[in-house]
Amino acid sequence: MTEVPAIEFAGVSRWYGDTVAVADVSFTVGPGVTGLLGHNGAGKSTTLKLCAGFTSPSGGTVRIFGVEPRRNPGVYERVGVVPDQSPPWPFLTAHEVVMLCARLHRVADPDAAAAGALETVGLADVAGRKVGGFSHGMRQRVKLAQALAHEPDLLLLDEPLNGLDPAQRREIIEVLHRLGDEGRTVIVSSHVLHEVERMAPQVLVLVNGHLVAEGQTGAIRQLISERPRTIRVAAGGDGRPLAGALVDDGAVDAVRFDDGTVEFETADVERFSRALPALARRTDTLIRRVEPVGDDLESVYAYLHDRARGAGR
Amino acid sequence: MIIGPIYRLTLRALLLQRRTILLVLLALAPVLVAFIYAVAAKQGAHHLRFYSHMMQELFVPTIAAVVALVIGVSALGDEREDGTIYYLVATPQSRLGLIVTKVAAAWTATLLLLVPSVVVSALLILKGGVDASSILWPVAGVALATLAYCGVAGWLSLRTRRPIVIGVLYILLWEGSIATFAASASKLSIAAYGRALVAERLPEAAAPVVGPAPAIIVLAAVAAVTCWLGARALVRVEL
Repeated sequence: MTEVPAIEFAGVSRWYGDTVAVADVSFTVGPGVTGLLGHNGAGKSTTLKLCAGFTSPSGGTVRIFGVEPRRNPGVYERVGVVPDQSPPWPFLTAHEVVMLCARLHRVADPDAAAAGALETVGLADVAGRKVGGFSHGMRQRVKLAQALAHEPDLLLLDEPLNGLDPAQRREIIEVLHRLGDEGRTVIVSSHVLHEVERMAPQVLVLVNGHLVAEGQTGAIRQLISERPRTIRVAAGGDGRPLAGALVDDGAVDAVRFDDGTVEFETADVERFSRALPALARRTDTLIRRVEPVGDDLESVYAYLHDRARGAGR
Repeated sequence: MIIGPIYRLTLRALLLQRRTILLVLLALAPVLVAFIYAVAAKQGAHHLRFYSHMMQELFVPTIAAVVALVIGVSALGDEREDGTIYYLVATPQSRLGLIVTKVAAAWTATLLLLVPSVVVSALLILKGGVDASSILWPVAGVALATLAYCGVAGWLSLRTRRPIVIGVLYILLWEGSIATFAASASKLSIAAYGRALVAERLPEAAAPVVGPAPAIIVLAAVAAVTCWLGARALVRVEL
C-alpha cells in the first residue's frame, strides 16, 4: 500500500485580486525536515497557510494526510502549527496557553503534555508567567511548545527562529532534527539560506509564488554557488590587458568596462579566482578592489527563478 | 456543542479588554436615566409607561444592540485581527462548535453587562410597583435580541473586515430609521422582535410586529442561522 504523503500540493494557486501569491505549485512532502525557502513575499507564508487550512486555494488541491484540511478538522489531531506574527493570548500564562491547545487537540493529560512541551523549548522555569510579559523570543518558543504538546505527525512552522538568540536557535534546531529523526514531517519556512541549511536536509525554494527548485539542500546550495556570477574589479590603468588575458584564459564569459572598473561575468568563480592574481601579475596590472555584484539573496532567487523558467544563462 | 475551554477563554478575553469599561458605562446609561427619573418624577407620573418606553425605545434598540454588536464582533473579529484564531482553528474541534461557543461567550458577556442594568432601572423607576413580569419580560426581550445580535456580529466579523461599521449602519439606519416608519421593514429588525417581548406585560410604545411566541422563534432562528453561516464562513474565508 502506498504511504499517503503528509502534504500534497497539486497545481495549487492562490491569488488576491491581481496579486498572485502562489502560482501553480505542485509538490509532496514526506517524513523529515523540509525547508521552505524564499525571499519576503515569495509566497512562503501563503503556502504554509494553505497547508494549515487557514486559506483555500484559488486553484488546485491541498491535501494533508490525504484530506483537505479545511473540510476535515479531524486531521488537526495530527498537525501542529506555529503561525508567524501571531503571539498567543497575552493574559494567559505559558502553561495555560500550551495546556489549552493540548486540551483542544484532545490530549489525554494536557497538564503533563504542556509541562513536557515547555520543558522541550526551555521555558519550564517561566511556565507560570503571563505570555504578555515575554520577550519576542520567548513567545516564539511558547508558540512552538503549543504546536508540540500533542506530539503531531506534521509540524508547520512559519519562520520559527525569528527573534531567537543564537543559543535558542541552536536548541530549536536540535528539537527539529530530533522530530525529523523520529519520522515526523516538519516543514519550516525561512528567508535565510544558511538557516534552512542548518535545519533541513530537504528544501523547497519559492520565488514570486513559483516553486523554482526542490531537493537536497546541499544540491541546491551547490546549484546556487555554481551559478554565473558578476565580479567587479577596480584595476590600475584601464584594465584592458588584464581583461584580455582573462578572456584568452577562458576564465570569463563577458567583460564590461565601466568608469574605471571592469565587470567580469564568469560561470566558474573558482577558476576566475585562481586566474585573476596570476594574470594580473603577468599583465602588470595593479588590482585595487575585487567585489561581487548582485550576490545578495534576491539575485540568487532571481537566478533560480530564471533557471526554472528555462531562461537561465 | 459548547467547547468549555474556548468558552472560558473567550469570556475572559472579552471581560478583560479595555473597551469593556466603555460598554459598562453605556450599559449603565439607562440606570442614570432611571435615577434622574426617580429623583425628578412628579407625583402621579405613570412610572410603568416611562419604564416601558425606556426599555422599548432606548434599551433594546440602542444600548443592547450596540453592546451586543461590539462584544459579538470582539469575540471572533479581535482573534482574527491578532491571529490568535489560528490556534483555535488548527484544532480538531468542529467549526460549528467553535462559532456557537464564541457566540455563547459573547452573549454571556453581553448579559452580564445588561441584565443588572435592566433590573436596577426597573427597581429605580417602578419602586414599590415592581413585579416579576415587569422585569422578566424585558430581560427575556433583551436576552433573545442580544443573542440574535451576537450571532449576526459573529458572522459579520468573519465575512467582512468592517463588521462594526456595517452593524452600526444596520442598527442606526435600518432599525433606527427605516424600520420605524415602514412596517414591512420592521419585520427585518431584530430590535422589533425584542420590543415585542418587552411589551408583553408592559404598555406598548408601538404596535409589536408579532406576538411573543413568534418573536422568540424568529430571534432564536436568527441566532441559529447566523451561527451556521459563521461556521460555513470559517472554512471558506481567509483567516
